Amino acid sequence: MTGGPAPRRVAFVAHCLLNQNAKVEGGAKRPAMWEPVIELLRERGYTIRQMPCPELAFGGARRFWGVREQFDTPLYRRHCRRLAKLVAAVVEQEAAADDVVLIGVDSSPTMGIDFTPSAPRWAGEPNIGEDDSRLVRGDGIFVAELKAELAERGLPEPRSTGIRHWFPDYEPEEELERLRGLLR
Amino acid sequence: MSDLRSRRVAVVADSLLDPLLDELAARSFGVIQLPPAGLEPATVTAWLEQTAEHVAEFRRTGYEVVLVDDGCHTAELERLLADLGVPPLPQYAIQPPSTSRLTPET
Repeated sequence: MTGGPAPRRVAFVAHCLLNQNAKVEGGAKRPAMWEPVIELLRERGYTIRQMPCPELAFGGARRFWGVREQFDTPLYRRHCRRLAKLVAAVVEQEAAADDVVLIGVDSSPTMGIDFTPSAPRWAGEPNIGEDDSRLVRGDGIFVAELKAELAERGLPEPRSTGIRHWFPDYEPEEELERLRGLLR
Repeated sequence: MSDLRSRRVAVVADSLLDPLLDELAARSFGVIQLPPAGLEPATVTAWLEQTAEHVAEFRRTGYEVVLVDDGCHTAELERLLADLGVPPLPQYAIQPPSTSRLTPET
């Protein structure tokens, strides 16, 4: 009795998880990539598909920190939708995959999966003083556009989670357990 | 707040990503992945357009960017980079395998 082919698993990951250079200045916790999630994906046999970084492309490498309210403009949403069309096309063309997951960044106004940063009064001079932003439940802007694009194409929404390495109460073991629970 | 980025970026052919990921991480290269085989041409172009835009921004702001190439998308990537005023990227030198095991025992 012969076994079938190995299941094909694909993980769509936020750009900065493979390239920390794309993070907003002050945000890179590692020189090159966020190894804990990359190593786990490789260990579990997931093919990695890196998504583009909407913020790097739109605001540049020298952009200021921002929260969801600042990014949520019609033009930025249009930009994110353009990138979401690319990612959705790749998802569609990976239709032979047995499992597809999405891994974002939960402190990002753009790539948040379960949480995104909010600060209703941030504006003007780039001097926020004491950081009064809060992490609130919700999608980042790109993630919202990606979900909408996938729905328009009749594609299922992948199981997903966000990396929380910038949460004040970040627990690496909790995150690894959450990632292990997401993967097959 | 300290920022640990290396300011070194490698644009990597998908066929070389898994074989070289450990080496690139050890040498502190963040990775931009090139399109995998099997995608429709329009999707490949859209992916390479994004790659070119990312590379142009990194080059504009003084990052080191190298190419780890298998030849599949070189011409189209170079054309897209040229459209953004970016010259062809230098090729990354893949590290040779260790020769320590070849040292004869004495």
